[in-house]
Amino acid sequence: MSGCALFLRRAATAARACPALVALSASRRPLSTSRPSRAFAKELFLGKIEKKRVFPFPEVSQDELNEINQFVGPVEKFFNEEVDSQKIDREGKIPDDTLEKLKSLGLFGMQVPEEYGGLGLSNTMYARLGEIISLDGSITVTLAAHQAIGLKGIILVGTEEQKANYLPRLASGEHMAAFCLTEPASGSDAASIQTRATLSEDKKHYILNGSKVWITNGGLANIFTVFAKTEVVDSDGSVKDKMTAFIVERDFGGVTNGKPEDKLGIRGSNTCEVHFENTKVPVENVLGEVGGGFKVAMNILNSGRFSMGSAVAGMLKKLIELTADYACTRKQFNKRLSEFGLIQEKFALMAQKAYVMESMAYLTAGMLDQPELPDCSVEAAMVKVFSSESAWQCVSEALQILGGSGYMKDYPYERMLRDARILLIFEGTNEILRMFIALTGLQHAGRILTERIHELKRGNVTTIMETVGRRIRDSLGRTMDLGLTGNLGVVHPSLGESANKLEENVYYFGRTVENLLLRFGKTIVEEQLVLKRVANVLINLYGMVAVLSRASRSIRIGLRNHDHEILLANMFCTEAYVQNLFSLSQLDKDAPENLDEQIKKVSREILEQRTYICAHPLERTS
Amino acid sequence: MSLVPHPPEPPKKPIKAPAPHEELFRQEPGGERDKASFVRAVQNFGQYNVRKRGHVDFIYLALRKMREYGVERDLTVYNLLLDIFPKEVFRPRSVIQRIFLHYPRQQECGIAVLEQMENHGVMPNKETEFLLIQIFGRKSYPMLKYLRMRLWLTRFKNINPFPVPRDLPQDPVDLAKLGLRHIEPDLSARITVYQMPLSDDLTGTEDPIQPHIVGIQSPDQQAALAHHNPARPVFVEGPFSLWLRSKCVYYHILRADLLPPEERKVEKIPEEWNLYYPMQLDLDYGRSGWDDYEFDIDEVEEGPIFAMCMAGAHDQATLAKWIQGLQETNPALAQIPVIFRLAGSTGELLTSSGLEEPPRPLCEVQEEDDDHRKQQQQGRS
Repeated sequence: MSGCALFLRRAATAARACPALVALSASRRPLSTSRPSRAFAKELFLGKIEKKRVFPFPEVSQDELNEINQFVGPVEKFFNEEVDSQKIDREGKIPDDTLEKLKSLGLFGMQVPEEYGGLGLSNTMYARLGEIISLDGSITVTLAAHQAIGLKGIILVGTEEQKANYLPRLASGEHMAAFCLTEPASGSDAASIQTRATLSEDKKHYILNGSKVWITNGGLANIFTVFAKTEVVDSDGSVKDKMTAFIVERDFGGVTNGKPEDKLGIRGSNTCEVHFENTKVPVENVLGEVGGGFKVAMNILNSGRFSMGSAVAGMLKKLIELTADYACTRKQFNKRLSEFGLIQEKFALMAQKAYVMESMAYLTAGMLDQPELPDCSVEAAMVKVFSSESAWQCVSEALQILGGSGYMKDYPYERMLRDARILLIFEGTNEILRMFIALTGLQHAGRILTERIHELKRGNVTTIMETVGRRIRDSLGRTMDLGLTGNLGVVHPSLGESANKLEENVYYFGRTVENLLLRFGKTIVEEQLVLKRVANVLINLYGMVAVLSRASRSIRIGLRNHDHEILLANMFCTEAYVQNLFSLSQLDKDAPENLDEQIKKVSREILEQRTYICAHPLERTS
Repeated sequence: MSLVPHPPEPPKKPIKAPAPHEELFRQEPGGERDKASFVRAVQNFGQYNVRKRGHVDFIYLALRKMREYGVERDLTVYNLLLDIFPKEVFRPRSVIQRIFLHYPRQQECGIAVLEQMENHGVMPNKETEFLLIQIFGRKSYPMLKYLRMRLWLTRFKNINPFPVPRDLPQDPVDLAKLGLRHIEPDLSARITVYQMPLSDDLTGTEDPIQPHIVGIQSPDQQAALAHHNPARPVFVEGPFSLWLRSKCVYYHILRADLLPPEERKVEKIPEEWNLYYPMQLDLDYGRSGWDDYEFDIDEVEEGPIFAMCMAGAHDQATLAKWIQGLQETNPALAQIPVIFRLAGSTGELLTSSGLEEPPRPLCEVQEEDDDHRKQQQQGRS
């Protein structure tokens, strides 16, 4: 009896001791498939914060900063004076002289290495320039389609000859690039494309046949990164259809494009269908290896996403300036608009979202700029989801502040609202990215936790005792110390409370992930509502981390207005904490807040009849 | 010629012994005091004095002379001064030397150099660190002070919420705009230049014929002036001084006295004002004690201030031109009598209200419109 109690107590103390120790002992056991991935977001799924990756906030040296400020000046001047966004929106195309000026400023090859004629900017500098370019949505999208996805493939996986052949002309802007993946029948479902590339008899060409839809820059581009299905012979002899990436020039013949589409927003960018009819693509123009197109597409799309955060932040800052001018001058009921609480709330929301977005984007850019080339696809996806949704919300609120004038075409707000709507759709729809964020993390966590779950299922006594001990401890106290505050803390004491909230959330999230994996296992792929909540919690956590890191650095260095930053940081952390607690409580089994079952039932009944099925309120039975 | 020596003249002022090494800083006739001559003087010390005797006194003297030579914000000069110390001599070599402050006078002198750097806001660099390590060792007080400067000077760089730029503009109009913006940082207030300085070529810029007048007024002030009762006068008071780093600028204000309590009207919220929600609830009770965050302050209310200006000259003619300029945006000002209450002297230490000791107040009570109109016509012609 006493021995059992002693055992329990020892297990409880073992569980109460640093949970990292438990995970460490788990990782010392031989694991089958995991490689040591030091990505930050994936570790959050295990309830751990990798402090070395995010604290301190990534800095650039003063020389680099001076260099980037030299770029920033002329570009800003150009966008303020010579770009007429209203005209671009009205006519539906970007004037040629604007394009020429952009080419001469070097904005067509920002990430192309210098030996091929580009600017060779690092990710952080690219994000910084993106802040200014975002003043006009159509130009941003055109440039992004050209370099962030169009020629990224050549930079990432191209051979030396391909790079030397195509990059100089693309960087100078002589030729434009486009990224051709979407087809009428496959938008998010990229692996189901129908375009085929068959090897010719002399094995020197691929014949490309198919049509792609909604290709930005389709009408203007000369060089396309096309994804097509090719027949690949596997190592075991079976013939399969796999996706391959090709660099296709318009001069190869057979490339036609349809008329530019009439869109809701970003009307200046050229979006059209591109048809390939028996286009001869030389074998040297295969990007990467034959059959490796899927990975190429994934890498290209993952690498360009983070810049959306800083672009949207730049746009929001401009928006705050314009709207604040209006709010401080217009008077209603003998009071300025800026004195009414609801208007002040809107400004606080815009400032807060802009701050979080900037912090997340530059944190991700800093992480990507590190020499070890870590895998930051999850972080980039989180930045994209957060910034696109905040953009929509904040531009809508800014328009609301202006009231009727915001709705008129004379003011830029309605144009910015329409331009911002596409952000939720392109570069991976937000829903798909939420699934991506949640599933990538769950897979990583699942690999590490597999061993423990096996042991639990096998009935290993020590593990069961540990788990029970941990659960009892969890139900007693809520505070967890992961080393952010305190003597060796990396977070400044003024942000101590927010750091405590973050630690609590992270720990609780780790436990919830473990429970989810236990409950669902492999089938969690189908539970999209659960995955959505997981992704939301993770985005909030990443936002909190970014904001705490940046605010701590501001105080430590003594940047201007750092007390304002502390305010914004604490505000966001409190809100995110409360939202996270609610989401996590919804993820418990049979939680009363969890309305998933009801949601599924309602939607099933509606979709069966394909209409709204309630009886009309005026109907009578007699 | 008698050989008897003259009795010594009675000392007119206390005899000051020249500081040691002062002759090194003696100005050559025709030479000017700038960085080159300062550096030469410092290097001469080392040249004439191989063993560097009295280097502590010399460094103190050089620190005092820096302001005359205008090099107090130059980091290279400070590094040069630190270079005067002999290296490796003052580093503690044993435990006993480390316990007791080794070479205390020299360490104090080093600290004095760093302190003058700190007072002028000069940030030390790696060269300073290297010199300090060579001279005093890593665990000395000057090194400690250097580390503290590295930490705190960066943190305090942006700490002033109302920073004044270090290089003030030389142009008086720009300086006036900067000063007015400092007084009234609200962005809705508009600065207008009523008159640009024009000087006659003969007299030069010393004595401009037409001094500059720069005024500032916010929309709230405009509205208040429009509602001002024409029976009560407004006063032009000044000049008050505003110090921007080392420059003093003077400004005048246009203000009115407070209305006595019986004449103040309480703004009544009209019954039918807001179409959507009631602006006033007719409940009997006010704010409860739980939510009342106002303090019981003894508030001293001042009269409203309608506008401010900075002008080149402080006489009534210039200020009358300012009032005329104000009348374009505030037509109500034409009906209101303006009284000029200007303090005579332009001493820099005026009292805040300027009313307590006006030595020769230039009071001119303007009668009704006609006098004012005559003034206007005179001013225009």
